[in-house]
Amino acid sequence: MWSFVFRRFLVAIPTLLLISVLIFGVIQLQPGGFLENMLDDPRVSRETVETIRKQYGLDQPVWVQYLNWLKRFAQGDFGYSFLNNRPVAGLIWERLGWTVFLAVLTILTTWVVAIPLGIYTALRRHGLGATVVNLIGYFGLATPDFLVALLLIFAVLSSGGTNVGGLFSPQYIDAPWSWEKFKDMLAHLWIPLIVIGLDGTASIMRQMRANMLDVLTQDYIRTARSKGLAERVVLWKHAVRNAINPLISIAGLSLPNLISSTIIASIVLNLPTIGPFLYQSLLDKDQYVVMALLMLSAILLMIGNLLADLALAWADPRIRYE
Amino acid sequence: MSRRTPRIDRNSPLYLAWRRFLKNKPGVISAGVLAILYLIALFAGFLAPYNPTTQHPDAVYQPPQRVHIFREGRLVRPFVYQLVKKRDPVTFIASYQEDTTRPTPIRFFIRQGDPYSFFGIKTNLHLFGVSEGYFFPLGTDQFGRDLLSRMLVGSQVSLTVGVIGVAISFAIGILLGGISGYFGGWIDTVIQRTTEVLLSIPRLPILMALSTVIPASWPSTYVYLGIIAVLSFIGWAGLARVVRGQVLAAREIDYVTAARAIGAPNLWIILRHITPNLTSYLIVTATLALPGYIIGESALSFLGLGIKEPMASWGLLLKDAQNFQALSLYPWLLAPGVLIFVSVLAYNFFGDALRDAADVRSID
Amino acid sequence: MTIRKALWLLGFMAMGLASAQPKVVSGYENGKPGGTLTMALSSAPQTMFYYGAIDSAIQTLANQMFDGLIEYNYKTYQIEPALAASWTITGESKVYTFKLRKGVKWSDGRDLTADDVVFTYTQIVANPEAKGGDAGNFAGVKIEKVDAGTVRFTLPKPAPAFIHYMRLPIMPKHKLLPFSQEGGKKPGDINNAWPTNVDPNEVVGTGPFKLQSYTPGQKVTLVKNPNYWKRDANGTPLPYLDRLEFLIIPDSQAQVAQFLAGNLGQLNITGTDFPTLKQREVQGAPIKVVQFRALFGSPPHLAFNYDAKNPELAALFRKTEFRRAIQSAVNRKRIIDDVYNGLAELPGNGVAPVSEWYYDTTKLLGTYDLAAANAALDKLGLKKGADGIRLLPSGKPLEFTLTYGSNSSTFTAIATIIQNDLKAIGVKANLQGVLAANLLSTGRGKDWDAIILGFGDQPDPELRTPIWKPGGDLYYWHQSTQPTTPGGQPQFSNFLPWEKEIYDLWEKAASTTNFTQRKALYDRWQAIFAREAMVIMIAKPNAVGAVSTKYGNYIYSLGVIPGYNPVPIMYQK
Repeated sequence: MWSFVFRRFLVAIPTLLLISVLIFGVIQLQPGGFLENMLDDPRVSRETVETIRKQYGLDQPVWVQYLNWLKRFAQGDFGYSFLNNRPVAGLIWERLGWTVFLAVLTILTTWVVAIPLGIYTALRRHGLGATVVNLIGYFGLATPDFLVALLLIFAVLSSGGTNVGGLFSPQYIDAPWSWEKFKDMLAHLWIPLIVIGLDGTASIMRQMRANMLDVLTQDYIRTARSKGLAERVVLWKHAVRNAINPLISIAGLSLPNLISSTIIASIVLNLPTIGPFLYQSLLDKDQYVVMALLMLSAILLMIGNLLADLALAWADPRIRYE
Repeated sequence: MSRRTPRIDRNSPLYLAWRRFLKNKPGVISAGVLAILYLIALFAGFLAPYNPTTQHPDAVYQPPQRVHIFREGRLVRPFVYQLVKKRDPVTFIASYQEDTTRPTPIRFFIRQGDPYSFFGIKTNLHLFGVSEGYFFPLGTDQFGRDLLSRMLVGSQVSLTVGVIGVAISFAIGILLGGISGYFGGWIDTVIQRTTEVLLSIPRLPILMALSTVIPASWPSTYVYLGIIAVLSFIGWAGLARVVRGQVLAAREIDYVTAARAIGAPNLWIILRHITPNLTSYLIVTATLALPGYIIGESALSFLGLGIKEPMASWGLLLKDAQNFQALSLYPWLLAPGVLIFVSVLAYNFFGDALRDAADVRSID
Repeated sequence: MTIRKALWLLGFMAMGLASAQPKVVSGYENGKPGGTLTMALSSAPQTMFYYGAIDSAIQTLANQMFDGLIEYNYKTYQIEPALAASWTITGESKVYTFKLRKGVKWSDGRDLTADDVVFTYTQIVANPEAKGGDAGNFAGVKIEKVDAGTVRFTLPKPAPAFIHYMRLPIMPKHKLLPFSQEGGKKPGDINNAWPTNVDPNEVVGTGPFKLQSYTPGQKVTLVKNPNYWKRDANGTPLPYLDRLEFLIIPDSQAQVAQFLAGNLGQLNITGTDFPTLKQREVQGAPIKVVQFRALFGSPPHLAFNYDAKNPELAALFRKTEFRRAIQSAVNRKRIIDDVYNGLAELPGNGVAPVSEWYYDTTKLLGTYDLAAANAALDKLGLKKGADGIRLLPSGKPLEFTLTYGSNSSTFTAIATIIQNDLKAIGVKANLQGVLAANLLSTGRGKDWDAIILGFGDQPDPELRTPIWKPGGDLYYWHQSTQPTTPGGQPQFSNFLPWEKEIYDLWEKAASTTNFTQRKALYDRWQAIFAREAMVIMIAKPNAVGAVSTKYGNYIYSLGVIPGYNPVPIMYQK
């Protein structure tokens, strides 16, 4: 197994290199950026901007900038955020905690909702119930998440509530952890979970249903039934267990995707995650922040894939990697 | 059943699939809904009472007008009342009251307004409208533009973004996947790496970055195509992988080797033998990928990076509703959201039904 | 301690107390101390150092934590003493001597001295590499400490608006010396001072509040500065409020939501949000929605590129008759009613109508008259083609791109209305949306024909010199007048005759110190501006704010203007 991991690792490196080149290129193509926007304030003279440009090495040819970045990145130096006058690493670290927390929570919630729904729609394929359940599952897919976020906030406001965004009420944001703060967070969490989580529900539901259908036609299910096992046991002990396996690989993929797919919802709901930070940096061309975040996503994705494949191998004795 | 013509082979996989599809009621209904939506998009100019860009400054944020068929207790041809605008001096909220002294009958096949182009034919024939005053079935927006007309014309953009985008990404995906699988070697490695790269990039940031790259000086049709290109940029990678897998498997089958031995052209072999298996997968994947384009386009519009004025799309129209003023005072602006919802749902149910129909191992 | 010594001590203390000069703010309700006010920031601060970035978040925060030598009166915008208790202008208006207010302490207890002022101006403001500095306006200015409580600025030539620059916040030398050139660092290192993860105790200021904590991406907390140098009419030290909290909320609708939910105590809004909020107030919600004629704030204008790529268009855009014809197609009333919900007024030309420098140009603004516009364009020889679009002399249609900010609902609406009316007079404008943040950089480039843009207004026209004086850095609609080398002379040969007139007026006004004479010069400038429709001013939006009724003494403030901060007199009822 370790040779498998090692080979994947080897393969990952050129892929990451290619990704970094691609992202760097796209960033350079963007118009505007913070240097140009600095000129808009009458206080700033062109000399100041040119000096800053030189200071940050942005006057050098693109490929030189890229190689410099690559050298530093390989040594663990994520670069410098021009806008914030601070190393990128610290900025990311500050926001990483909540991002991961929300992402993990969302995945869990989505699973808790989608898997039972998927099983149900597999077993009762042609009923009205299945259609209704499908509707619920697809709801998140069919509405743009910024609209759902706004509608939920509007609903809360109209009913006189005050949990209209953010993860906490203002007084708890910098307060030390307490039971009250925890309850406050729960009261705020349900909107982001619905908005972000609904999206993934549909695909997991669908996948679960397809897997169940797949598994239920397998011979070993027939064998189990013919052995006289109760239907419930057949279902849960054999069918569901085997159907869930492929989903593990999807789980590996969802984590890094959650960083990017929550950008819009985070903006509307005012969540302190990396998403809005990435968005602002993209617009301002704070390139090292963007590079660091996107490379991080890509690396996470690859690790996620690897872990998922390993978990699959561990769970399913039929799969072996030499 | 005995009237059936003998030409249809009741045991052909296609026929069986068709029967299975028909059993899936939501799928059939959805297919109908989609057909209607596309028909509406086709005839949008005719079905809309006004041109999508015509402004009516004296009817700003007008609520939908109710169609009446009774007047003084008698059944008459459908008509609407004109609305009179009053602005509250304190809150500046404009309110509209029905002026019951001025019923305006709805006329059908009416000619009015600036001509629109229908496949090259210039005409100003509309299905319905009023010859004096206004009839806004779904109300108006900030500039007094008829929301229904804008939604109908916007459907042309929103519904075709997906079709063209899927077509582009599929073309690229099939081509590159096929080449990669068939020729192998370094071509395969290069293409494989590229697909992995594309699959590893987080979607939205790349979408955003690419959208800012589209030059603002391009005319809106180019921008529209540019957006589609951006949206389909990532889409083809997953497909290429699957095609490659299929091609690899097919390559080893004996009769393919035999065919090559007698000198049949490569491309023909690939197409001939891969197609049946692949087609069902393609159709289902396409149907399920399409709604992603509709939602993606609306997300770009929300960020200000997508379709821009004066072109209309459901996403752009929805942006007008994205504030509390609209939700409290002008809720009819949410109508495009309903259309997005319906069309995405329809695509999903339809795609599910297709997949069930194509699935040979289904248990009934 | 002997009795004699004790008496001397007492005497000194008494003198010290007597010589402390708190500023009394009167004319407002006397409030009671205590309470918290929560407001919103639209972005996370990039730094805690005002001069380290061009960033509205830190500008808002710095306004609460620091003071300048002068400040503006809340009602009249007149210049008043702040950290400088008094000043004299001598030497043909070239020498400004400021006497610092006695007894002002930094929030860590140290005394404010002239050293701090000199340090701020020489090491930071006049430092060309400080990102938020203002070196251009201090070139050649000699800044010296006369004694511990007196600072002198000697200008190379008279600059009547110089006093306004004294609103810039004064920084503590004892905290920032290690980052400065004087402290042995490179000039650009000053930008590294006080990053967002700095220990809050390092951020020391003289302002009403001081930094307590920053939760990244979420909240900034400021607490009352017990050493603040202002008092109310009763002698109670200001500020009344104990805490100021700023929630970081980038989305404007999210801000409105938080305000409606009661999580924000005060919010600046636009005309678009006014109706819903006002309706809630009328229905009994505990809020107050107010609107004022604004001094600051940015009135949008429509500009044509005198150096457009298409030479025919450029020639046309330079003609005053053309611009005035287009102006007749700009429906200001509709824009004020429908885009700003009535919360705007007719604009001034480079000066806000509520300012003391305003010259009434409303009669020169033309009226919305499509027939007159059509006639004027006919007179220019632009005949209408078969499809209703006018033709240029070469036979090509009169068509150009109109650039606007696509993520701004106001600009989008204005552009849509103007485009529609232009169509009615045979002019085809193709809308081109760019992100609002990139608007000005687009205008300063070469790739545009017509653009909708807004510049802020200031209390003194001289502060807007680079914008309205022909050849200025931000005189973007006629780039061929700008100097060919930075700091050089404008290209006079490319000036239009009336631009030369304006230029001479500005030159003279820059060295005139008599208010009446200056006003006469700027009046003539505004008249020429309006008459020639240099750019077409569209509307001046009102200042609209919403506040919870649990606060008293609320005065609207943009938040980012240094020297204008009415928060200290707000109190919680």
